[in-house]
Amino acid sequence: MSASGNPDIRMIYIASALMELTSEQLNAGNVLREYIGLKGVPTMRIENGDGSSSLAILAAVNDVKLKGGCVMVAGVEKPHEVTSTKLNKFVSFSTNSEYEAFFGVTPAAQAAIMAREYMNKYEYSYEDIAVWPLKMHERGAQNPNAYFRKAVKIKDITESELVADPLRLYDVAPYVDGSAAVILCAEPNKRDAVIQVSGAGMGVGSAYFASKQAYDALESVGPATKQALKESGMELEDVRVVNVHDTYSIIGLLSLEAMGLSKQGMAPRLMRDGEFDGGGRVAVNMDGGLKAMGFPIGASGLYQLISSAIQLKGEKPFESLNADTALVHDMVGVDQESIVIALRRGD
Amino acid sequence: MVEQNLSIPKYWRRTQQYYRLVATRCAKCGKTYFPPRRVCDCGNDALDPFELPKNGSLVTLTVLRSVSVDFEKQRPLLIGVVDLGGVKLMGQIVDCPSPTALRAGTPMEVVFRRVKEDGEHGIIYYGYKFRPVKGCES
Ligand SMILES: [Zn+2]
Repeated sequence: MSASGNPDIRMIYIASALMELTSEQLNAGNVLREYIGLKGVPTMRIENGDGSSSLAILAAVNDVKLKGGCVMVAGVEKPHEVTSTKLNKFVSFSTNSEYEAFFGVTPAAQAAIMAREYMNKYEYSYEDIAVWPLKMHERGAQNPNAYFRKAVKIKDITESELVADPLRLYDVAPYVDGSAAVILCAEPNKRDAVIQVSGAGMGVGSAYFASKQAYDALESVGPATKQALKESGMELEDVRVVNVHDTYSIIGLLSLEAMGLSKQGMAPRLMRDGEFDGGGRVAVNMDGGLKAMGFPIGASGLYQLISSAIQLKGEKPFESLNADTALVHDMVGVDQESIVIALRRGD
Repeated sequence: MVEQNLSIPKYWRRTQQYYRLVATRCAKCGKTYFPPRRVCDCGNDALDPFELPKNGSLVTLTVLRSVSVDFEKQRPLLIGVVDLGGVKLMGQIVDCPSPTALRAGTPMEVVFRRVKEDGEHGIIYYGYKFRPVKGCES
């Protein structure tokens, strides 16, 4: 709050996917309000799986557009309150639970099937897909805020344990406890670099994975991207920084294709060739993505939004990025919905 | 006992689907949905119950090693997509410890099996699974 100049906050939006399951707490916004001393400020909880916090941001953006002033968006997730197999169960509730989780289906199984189908169709080997974790760890090693700050060798990745073949441990963004908050205002209230939410969009895919039109491409990302760009008055070519929801390597790669940053079937090659590095055509997940930053499920969209703002502001370690536009992508389940938020740096 | 009463009705409500794969079919355009839908993509809301065929073919699969707590004893799980008369379902593939011979197009059939047990309340849940018609080595 002090970082934003202590504006008057009139509403708290709080996002969490699993709070009642992991922490046995409902309506946590009230607990937060008292803890941070925001007397008289009402709260609203938003849950939409791992896309919760981006939806909270959308709600907050609409709110300040309509009513002006400032609101807070907070995200919180504490997956480590429970064992890993119990967490797998809770996360599987984000599938069509009665028809997928009931039979043991998890998002990892769905992502694995996408990886398998994509690799088959475009004749990629696992090493080709492993370019994602390789690059993310490289980036994470440069980022003091990353959860993994160590570069890895391709062999570490290809020899890591199978989670759901062909996906291995290194293809999965690690669940982390995490919280984050931003303050959104109708008008800038500080003179230093202010980041503007210049547009937002949503797209949908299938609630039941098997009924997807294709298993080698994402349906929800394209419409969300187009809408965010249009609202922002930007073209895709104007975008300098992109952060995608890389819960699994394949989802990161397919998101770039669905956004239009790569032809279908080309993302692993372009990634390998440095097109998505700092100084490349567009800088993708320069913070190391959820892969290296960690994946605080219902708070992950805020993580990526804040990290994008830091990148646009050119704060450490992003001094050389020199970017003034960004797209932040978030996703609900495996391609059930996507949210894309466009950011601009003001002067 | 209260908790038991909460979970059983949810399960019994779905037995038509879990036991017999009852989908819904649009009376106007004939499109079939599983899980059942109340309204068709074409806009029509008159859909009839329709039992899916019990034979079909494999579309794709994965071996899931990091499983939910309810499936720890069955680990690893073979999870696949199976096409039953043009409707695709996702579920477990059984009777196949080594799935290397399974590929897109492998003939599959529906079997009715125990899905999981609720350890706390002793309830056993049953439902559909899939198996290769000619066995795992085909
Ligand atoms: Zn119809």
